[in-house]
Parts: sequence; structure tokens; C-alpha cells
Amino acid sequence: MTQRRHLLQAATGIGASLLLPGLASAQTGGARRFQGVTLNVSTFSAAYPKLLQQWLPEFEAQTGARVNFDAPSFPVYNQRADLELSTKGAAYDVVNVTFIYSSRWINSGWLTPLDEFIANPQLTAADWDVNDFLSGARAPETGRDGKLYGIPWTAEALLSVSSRFDLVQQAGLEFPDTTDDLVKVLRAVNKKERVAGFVSDSHYGWTFVPYLHAFGGDVFRKAPDDLFPTLDTPEAIAAADYYAQLIREFGPDGAVTYQPDQVTQALKLGRVNFSDAGQLHLAQLGDAATSRTLKTVKFGFVPKGPAGRFPGTAVHGLGIPAGSRNKEAAWAFIQWALSRQTTRRAVAAGYGSPSRRSDIDSAEFRSRQRINGSDLAQLSLDTITQAERTGHMKYRTVSVYPQVDQQLNKAIALIATGQANARQAMQQAQAQSIAELRRAGQKI
Amino acid sequence: MTSADTALPAHPLEAAPVAQHRAPRRASFVRRHGRAIAALALLAVVMFPFLWLVHLAFKPAADLFEDSLLFTPTLDGFRALLQGNFLRSFLNSLAVSTLSTGLSLAIGVPAAYALTRWRFPGRRHVALWILVTRMAPPIAFTIPFFLAYRWLGLQDTILGLALVYLTFNLAIVIWLMQTFFEAVPTALEEAAYIDGCGVWQAFWRITLPLAAPGVAATAVLCFIFAWNDFFYALILTRTQAVTAPVAIVNFLQYEGWEWSKIAAGGTLVMLPVVVFTVLVRKYLVRGLTAGGVKD
Repeated sequence: MTQRRHLLQAATGIGASLLLPGLASAQTGGARRFQGVTLNVSTFSAAYPKLLQQWLPEFEAQTGARVNFDAPSFPVYNQRADLELSTKGAAYDVVNVTFIYSSRWINSGWLTPLDEFIANPQLTAADWDVNDFLSGARAPETGRDGKLYGIPWTAEALLSVSSRFDLVQQAGLEFPDTTDDLVKVLRAVNKKERVAGFVSDSHYGWTFVPYLHAFGGDVFRKAPDDLFPTLDTPEAIAAADYYAQLIREFGPDGAVTYQPDQVTQALKLGRVNFSDAGQLHLAQLGDAATSRTLKTVKFGFVPKGPAGRFPGTAVHGLGIPAGSRNKEAAWAFIQWALSRQTTRRAVAAGYGSPSRRSDIDSAEFRSRQRINGSDLAQLSLDTITQAERTGHMKYRTVSVYPQVDQQLNKAIALIATGQANARQAMQQAQAQSIAELRRAGQKI
Repeated sequence: MTSADTALPAHPLEAAPVAQHRAPRRASFVRRHGRAIAALALLAVVMFPFLWLVHLAFKPAADLFEDSLLFTPTLDGFRALLQGNFLRSFLNSLAVSTLSTGLSLAIGVPAAYALTRWRFPGRRHVALWILVTRMAPPIAFTIPFFLAYRWLGLQDTILGLALVYLTFNLAIVIWLMQTFFEAVPTALEEAAYIDGCGVWQAFWRITLPLAAPGVAATAVLCFIFAWNDFFYALILTRTQAVTAPVAIVNFLQYEGWEWSKIAAGGTLVMLPVVVFTVLVRKYLVRGLTAGGVKD
């Protein structure tokens, strides 16, 4: 096993040196500079980390470092990483900076600023170009001190989808652009050919918030500076009422229990027509082998409301824990993992959520992201750009958002199942959020 | 004198025998089999989730979300599962549960015997303090264990996890076994002492065999609790000692859930507990009902 690993390293080392000249020259001491170093890398299991795991021998051959790459599921990873980082442990050298925890991890001083590594020509290749990463994706990885703590490997957008757009066309209607349009369209197509009108992932702290913003509401008074919750404003109550009505009136049986994967499957099988979901999930509707709605699907922006359009975005990046004892080697790994060569190669292998502008603009990526006439790549890019411009996603990276997130999940479920009206549910969410924030030490 | 001579005359109020016997009406099917039907109905409700999980494990991935119950069974889910690291996690679970159960019994059974038979100051308090470990939620122990294990190098080890499980298994062993030892008459041990046995011999040769059903029942419960633990395994393992419940959760991928693997893994995870319980069910029933009726 070890012999095989060494052989593989030797064979790939030559190729890797040719593939990644920038990395090699940037490291004083030349090739195999980190001989004897063991790097512990942990991310959650996703498409990009899986590709990196396949290509690890190349990095090992080139740098001499040995990499232990652990990639558990999203919830498992977050639990472990949060605990490990909070105790300033040295168990990990490279971690995924999870979007919902980024503010907590960055602003608590649990991660290492990367600016000095990036600025040092001895440590970073000239062609690596941090500015090639979407600025909208870099923003959540940036601390209050203005320093960068994570390099994004995914920049995902929340988009709207109609899996059976043919039914919409038969009704003589267009893809809904506004919240009023959406209701009009759903009334026209709901239950047609036994296809339910609308469903969403029951993580409403993610899927409902674009509607909350669209109605003029918000989660906090002004994140990240003023974290007083604003869940019981008239706008928030109206948004919750509207959204829960979508689920109640147009949802399939058990709509309030749908997990992201169930939403994807329901869309692929054509059991539900409309939803809002992340681009990585929606791209699966373009898989000819498993999707029955490939020829009827259409994508668009999440609908705009009286206050405008505020789509959700999610960014994950690679960062270095403050407790790491191998920071330079860790940076070498991040640099390799997100070099132009590696990200381009990932796109070529079918990766669907790059964060480098050069990859997003590449013809190869654009052609693959065109599904039944919809340009998923452009929709995502526009969404991320807009989120950066409006700053409406700042609510999501404050350290105490997970507590409010839980309250939103509960509130929408209560309204959709008829256990409470919108006013009662949102007032309850407001009161409990305030209590939770105070418990977390927030002065509100 | 025969019994006929002493027979009493018929009572005047005694009803005259009925001249024509009507054939007894046959009880309806429902009345005759009511209990069995009710039991089957209850069993169906209880077993449904398990049967559904097993059926998903054998269903082709392409048909998983189809409503039809008719499909060609496949072992693809199990194959995919065993091609990865699941088998290792399964064996880790087996090792941790067995070790934890063994340790719990090795420490807990003598402790329970001592608490039952010996009189010493604060005996009841000791038993109560042992139970406190069951009262506190696992989260209360997590951070101290996490930090201590990092320092001791016990993170991500089978032994480390087995030791953590003592926090909840030891209390079960001690409290359950106390009840079983109390049911064993002290006269038997006293007789053994007269025959020349020491305390340890009397315990080992007389008391423990008589309490064997209780030990079996307790062992099953300890094994199940350890086998099903998710929380401690989630926090205290990384790659080497990952147990089956954590491995199954790892099939919840970011882009989608691997339902075939989840169902196959769930089915496999149920097997050891079912087999173990079937093997010791005779003792389990005796053990769990011991002391239910006062003599």
C-alpha cells in the first residue's frame, strides 16, 4: 500500500511539476519542501473536495507533504470543526470555512489571516491571482478587520425553478418574475397532471429569507452591527403568511418535511413544479440519465417582491485554523487546491460551482451549465453579484444566526400546518430569538 | 354404603333439564382470533419502519422514489456500501460496543454485588451518585472528554470511545444488577461459606450463576446503548474509530443524499442487535421479569 503510494507520487510528481509551475517556483527550498510534514485537512463531503482527494498524490509528490484528508457529511463536519476551532486545537491544518459559521470562526480569532501568505512572492505564485475569485464570494470570508480568512471553492446561488414549465406555457403564462406572478402561475398549474405546484427545502432559515427581504422585512435590524431581531414587523409577518400559504395551498403531501434531496428528487421526477434551491442541486435536473424533466425545466431568479429581489447565496472556502502548526504547508495546500490549474481541471471534470471568474466565464463551463435553454451559470453569477451589491446576505454570516435560523424554521412550519397564524408564529419567533441571543451573550 | 344411597334428593327449585339441546352457536372468526388479529395489527405498525428500510435497501436506486412496491431486488446498495469504509465503521461499532459492555460488566457487576451485600457508611449515596451520570445529558460531558482525550491521545480510538460509554452503561449495570442480586437468597451464600468458600468464591460459584439471566439482560441493554450511540462518536472520532451510526450520517452528501447506502447501512446496523437479542432472549425475558412478583 505504501509502496503503491510512493510509486503514484513519483509518477504524478513529474506531471504535477509541469502542471503547476507557479506553485513549485513560489516555494523556496524547491520541490518537496515539506518533506516529513503531515497535513490534516478537513472539509465536508462535496463534489470539489472529492476531486481534490483524487488528485492529492500530485500535491504530495510535488511538496513532499503527506495529507490526511477527512471529508465527513455537512452536519458532522460542522459539529467537529466548531468544537475543534473553539478549543484552538492543532488537529486540523486546513479546514472548510463554513458559510453559516464564517463570522463566528473568523471574528473569534479561530482562523489565520491569509493576506500575508498571498502577498509574499516567496509563498504564492505570481499567477495565482486572488482577485480572480469573485469579490462577492470573498466578502463572507473577510473579517471585520478587512483581512481574508478563507479562499472560496464554491459560490452557490439560490435560484427558482419550474420543472414542468410546459404546463406554465400551456396555461399561456410566463416564468414568474414577482411574488404576485408566482401565485398567479401556481393557481393555474397546481395539480395539473398530478404535479404539485410548489415545495421548498424545510430549512426555511435559508429558503424563506429571500421572500422576507422581498416583502421589505429582514432578520436583524442591521446586520452585522445591530443584531436586534426584526421577525415581528408587519413586513415579516406578511412575508411569512405569503410563504406559508405557498406551501399549504400548492405543496405536496408532507411538504413541510421536505429535505433538500427530496426537493431535488421531486423536481427530477416531475412531481412538483416550482421550487427555490441551490444551483448545485438544480444542475442535477440537467442529468439526462436520472432527470425526467430535462426537456421541460426552466430556471430563473427568485421572485422579486414589493421591496425588490434578494436572492440567497452560499460561499464555502478553505482556511487555516489558528492552532495549526503547519501554516506554510497548509497555505501551500490551499494554493494548490485553488490554483487556476486545479480549478480549471475541476470544471473540466464537471464541477458545477466554481468561484474563479475565469472558470465561470470559460466556454466549457458555460456550455455545460446551459440546461434546456436556461443559462444557469449566468443566473448564478448575477445572483452573487447582486448579493454583493445589496449586502443583504450579511444576516447569514453573523455568529448568532444559527439560533434565529431555528426559530424561522419553526415559525414557517407552524403557519404552514395551521398550528398558528403568521402573527402569532412570528411574534413567538421574535421573542425566542431575543431570548436565544441574550443567552449567547448579545447585548440587545 | 354406596354413594348412590347417600345422594341427596333433587332440590325442588332446581330447573328441569332442557328437553332439546340447541347446538352451541359457533363463535365468529373475529371473536376467536381477535387477540391474534390485534397483535398482528400492532406488530405491523411497529415493524413498518423497519420493513420499509429493508425494502429500500434492496430497491434499485432509480426506483427509490417510485410509489410501486414491485421491483427487481438488487444488492447494489450493499455493494456500494462495502466498497467504501463502512465495513470498518461497522467493525468499529462492534468492537466499541463489545468492549464497552465487557468493561461495564467487569466493573459494574462486582460493584452492584458490594452495594447489595455489604453495609458501609454512605452506601445509598454512592449508588445515587453513580446514577447521576445517567441524569446529565451527554453534552455535559462532551467538552471535558474532548479536551482530556486530546491531551491523553485517546481521541479517535476504540478504547477512548468504550471508556466514554461507561458514563451511561456503568450506572445501568450497577442499578439493574443490584435488583438481581437482592433476589438471590443470602442463605445460599452462607451455606457456601460453611462449606469453605471465601467471599469471592461464593460470589463467583453461587451468586453469579443464579443472577446469570440478569447479567444477560443487562449486557443486552448495555450493548444496545453503546451500539446506538451517535453523539459521543460524532464528537470524539475523526477517521480511525468512526462508528456505523456516524458513517451512515456521512452519506448525507452536500449535493444529495445517498439513499441506497443509507438504507443498506441501516439494515446492516440493525442485524447485530437483533441477532444478539434473539440469542439471549430466554435470559432477557427471565431477567427483565425477575422480581416482578413478591414471594
